Amino acid sequence: MRRSNIGWLFLAPATLILFVVGFIPFLYILYVGFFDWNSNAVDPTLRWAGLQNYRNLVFDATFLNSLARTLVFAFIVVVSELLLGYVLARALMADRLWGRQFFRTIHTLPIVVAPIAVGATWRLLCVPGFGIIPYYLKLWFGIDYNISTNAYHAFGTAIVMDLWHWTPFVTLSLMAGLTALPKEPLEQAQIDGGNKLQIFWYVIVPMLKPVLLTTVFIRLMDALRSVDEVWMLTKGGPAEATRFIGLHIWINVFPKTDYGYGAAMSLLTLYVTIVLSWLLFVAMTGRKGGAQ
Amino acid sequence: MGGFQPEQSERDGFLPIRTNGFDRGFISVVILILVHLLWMRFLEGLLPLWVATVLCLALAVFIIRKG
Repeated sequence: MRRSNIGWLFLAPATLILFVVGFIPFLYILYVGFFDWNSNAVDPTLRWAGLQNYRNLVFDATFLNSLARTLVFAFIVVVSELLLGYVLARALMADRLWGRQFFRTIHTLPIVVAPIAVGATWRLLCVPGFGIIPYYLKLWFGIDYNISTNAYHAFGTAIVMDLWHWTPFVTLSLMAGLTALPKEPLEQAQIDGGNKLQIFWYVIVPMLKPVLLTTVFIRLMDALRSVDEVWMLTKGGPAEATRFIGLHIWINVFPKTDYGYGAAMSLLTLYVTIVLSWLLFVAMTGRKGGAQ
Repeated sequence: MGGFQPEQSERDGFLPIRTNGFDRGFISVVILILVHLLWMRFLEGLLPLWVATVLCLALAVFIIRKG
């Protein structure tokens, strides 16, 4: 058998699975997005709507606000997790840190907790009159912390919860990347008189770029589709302060059974995610052309 | 880091980045969707949507050939 055929043969099972669980559902969503389909409506059958779902979307203030809120949330959590993850990775790699293995294990535990359990736990921590967070914030700082009535408190708590849950993932990725870096360029930069900031910016960051890019992609895509944690924490409230786009789509597709409109929203969210990821890829890989 | 080496098919056009055929097709589709959404939001009352489609297809041909 020819070498290229063997390659395709090895790839075939993964390609087939991806096709069945990824591409076919995508085509189905694309198809449903052009129909008016609500199983609880007077006429529960699919009715051709053309671009009407998309036309409704661009005038839907709730959807657009959800999208904007999600982008703000994703930007804050991804940047914060990257900075915090790098600091923690360097700290956990330090030779003089006592009990390094123990701290690494403890620090990694949040990743293995299911998002729904994370949301439920944080809800218990934050319930006014019961949780320890409002209790100590009132006792030490005099803050009336209430995620059920204050939009800023709810949004801030959703961010902190995401940081708690996913920073360890970023730390692990960056630790793997930092461990694999060759020592010679770093030593060369030190011999050449580079200070710590210069070595970080001109040596470490360029060499770490593939790891940074992968980590940012994974976290960005995850942050843009946050549903279960936020649902358990605030149910999207108060008002719509934490109704992120994933939650908004879920509310439209499941409780309201508006499948056509939900499909259109999902596709637009996918479009935003792909465009953002692509822009990030172009920016981080510095693919500059002759026109610049 | 080998994954970030420029491919043989990449070239410089009027776009601000080096692109291959897939990039130019992708950029055309992204612009097509964006223009249609903005058109539906702001211009559809004045001009029908097929005008946007024709403009975007012409732009797509230009991007793919010269981008």
